[in-house]
Amino acid sequence: MSPKIQRILVFGLITAGVLLAVFFGLRAAFAFHEFRRHSLHPFAPMEARNNQPVETDVELIRDWMTIPYIARTYRVPPEILFEALRLSPSKSLSEKSLKQLNDEYFPQAEGFVITTVKAAIVEFQAQAFPTATPSSPAVSPAP
Amino acid sequence: MSDFLLTQIINYGAPVLGMIVFIGALGVPFPGTLLIVAAGAFARQGLLAWHTTGLIALTFVVVGDSLSYGMGHFAREAVLRRFQASQNWAKAESTFARWGGMAVFWTRFLITGIAVPVNLIAGTSGFGIRRFFLYDLAGEAIWIFGYGGLGYLFGMQWEVVGELLGNVSGLALGFVLLGLGIWLGVRQWRIVEARKTNVPEA
Repeated sequence: MSPKIQRILVFGLITAGVLLAVFFGLRAAFAFHEFRRHSLHPFAPMEARNNQPVETDVELIRDWMTIPYIARTYRVPPEILFEALRLSPSKSLSEKSLKQLNDEYFPQAEGFVITTVKAAIVEFQAQAFPTATPSSPAVSPAP
Repeated sequence: MSDFLLTQIINYGAPVLGMIVFIGALGVPFPGTLLIVAAGAFARQGLLAWHTTGLIALTFVVVGDSLSYGMGHFAREAVLRRFQASQNWAKAESTFARWGGMAVFWTRFLITGIAVPVNLIAGTSGFGIRRFFLYDLAGEAIWIFGYGGLGYLFGMQWEVVGELLGNVSGLALGFVLLGLGIWLGVRQWRIVEARKTNVPEA
């Protein structure tokens, strides 16, 4: 390898290393800040974690989740969620993500499915688990 | 991409996770770390059985790694024909024989961005398959059970944990490249200095 190519290689490695370290370093610092802000203490006793009240933070619901998964996580019967969306429960619908349901059945109303599901959960939990404080206010479904 | 894969994991479970880590081990850039942390959280929710899911994922990823090692191994003939006479190649081979185990181990779970190139280099440089397998298995076990365990521990907060781990991996890759660049630069500078002192003054 000629000295010129070696110099280019050294320069390239150092530049790439610095860029990656700065980019991911900042992102890691931000992620760590979020981690400390959101999470429970990692070494909290498992019993304490397992005895947590029902999951009520509907802001943790994401577009990739399916109705049965959300129903299980928030302890809401899936039929309630399908009913809120005015859809009949079926195996094929149960395997679709919220985004797929929105794209297929409510293409004119972006975010309708996730908003409706959140609202249905908050409403159901308020009745079924009155002691569980919803961490997010009830969200009105989009038209 | 990760959204689609997450939906498939909650629908079809461990076999899908196994296929994802297998394809990832062959070089397709899937967000493997994030999915492993997510799988740990799904196990916490009772959606996946942690032991079978862990074993399936570990088996698939080790098979995938071994295949990419195999690709390097079968390319060895062609590489040797091209570089066998080069002194640098001999040096690179002996360096990998010495440090390759550590490279395989650390790139399984920390510097995951260069795991596939390391597999290919290991195969091409004639690094022993048994040594490769042992270091690979140890590193991947940490990746699957360690990172999956963090997902299990933090439950619904897994997204934040996954993002943190992904960024730490990128940061580690940056430090490795920076360190390598500095090491090569210092070595080159020393060679130049040595040549200067050896040249007799006219």
